[in-house]
Amino acid sequence: MMTDEKLKELLNTVTDTTGDPAPSGLNEDIKRQIPQTLVLHRGGWDTINIIIDLRVSKLAAAAVIIVTMVLLAGVFGERSSADGDIYQDGKLLINYCLKGEGASTSNVLAGMSRFYEYLIYRGKEVTYYGDNIDPADKDALLLHWKLADGNYRVIFSDLRIEAVTPEQLIKLQARMLQKKTR
Amino acid sequence: MEKKAETAEQKAESAHPLSEQQRGETEQEYSQQRRSSLAARLRAGDHEAAAELVDLYYEHIYLFMRRLGHSRQVSEDLTQESFLQAWRHIAQLRDGKALNGWLYRIASNASKLYWRKHAGGEPASLDGIDVADDTQTAPDKVARYEQINRLRGAVARLPMKLKQAVVLHYMQHLSISEAAEAAGIREGTFKSRLNRALKRLRKHFT
Repeated sequence: MMTDEKLKELLNTVTDTTGDPAPSGLNEDIKRQIPQTLVLHRGGWDTINIIIDLRVSKLAAAAVIIVTMVLLAGVFGERSSADGDIYQDGKLLINYCLKGEGASTSNVLAGMSRFYEYLIYRGKEVTYYGDNIDPADKDALLLHWKLADGNYRVIFSDLRIEAVTPEQLIKLQARMLQKKTR
Repeated sequence: MEKKAETAEQKAESAHPLSEQQRGETEQEYSQQRRSSLAARLRAGDHEAAAELVDLYYEHIYLFMRRLGHSRQVSEDLTQESFLQAWRHIAQLRDGKALNGWLYRIASNASKLYWRKHAGGEPASLDGIDVADDTQTAPDKVARYEQINRLRGAVARLPMKLKQAVVLHYMQHLSISEAAEAAGIREGTFKSRLNRALKRLRKHFT
């Protein structure tokens, strides 16, 4: 029987010798068809898509939904139709998901990056720090965005939410920078 | 002027010679940075970034479609469709690291939808070009040519999911995690799918 190595080597040759090059001008055709204005697809906020994309364990997925719902309720104190959809999706998924497996901080953080996208979708000017923070540092900034009164809403890595003044925000950012450079 | 700059660059390179590995790491870092910045611009809805994405990936996606067994015309259409879908679903792109997996996932879905709509259609065989290797003797060449043709046929006849795994990992050179993301499955599942595919392919050579 053929060894794995030999088979992989043959597959490489097949790759190098398979398929014709893309027709010239195809890229220009595609570029012409891309609309100038980006209209976000509503499905991008479908919670089921979020779960599929995250590919997290069931309970972790449920945790992400709960966090999102709590944040939506707590942060905005209002409910738009999109929030309502997520709320309904969340209820269905929690019923479906709450059986087994453990959630982890990293899963919740991954969910937070989705929440960040959601805020952008709502037109907020958001800064997300999630890719660079130390999850063990409870005072590390995870997200912030500007409020109408000039202050900032901040979410920390332990998921607590606070409204801070611009000066306080600068201090929090400076603290993170100092910690990183140490 | 350009030549001067080039010479200066070459001098700088020879003054600080990088090992092959360091060079590889630097290039990887550069390409990672480029992808991260591209992803950030895409997410911000930058139309130029969308054009850059097309230039960077259209050949790969077209070949991916061809290797999945679509005809030339269908591959062109599906490549276009993939980029339009990608633009519409740009908010789902997480970051630069996820760019490969995300785009291939959209392309895979476009291909899957096509097969579903055209359920009766037979996937085309993988078109090949002649393999020339001057170091081989004539009988060796014939044997190798036969092997390659057999393998090509065997890949084309694999069930779609297994074929997709082989194409993503071995032909499009996606890492296991990127390929798993593209196939929409966990890494473990992808690895076992890949093993099953290799097992089937090996059988053709017993």
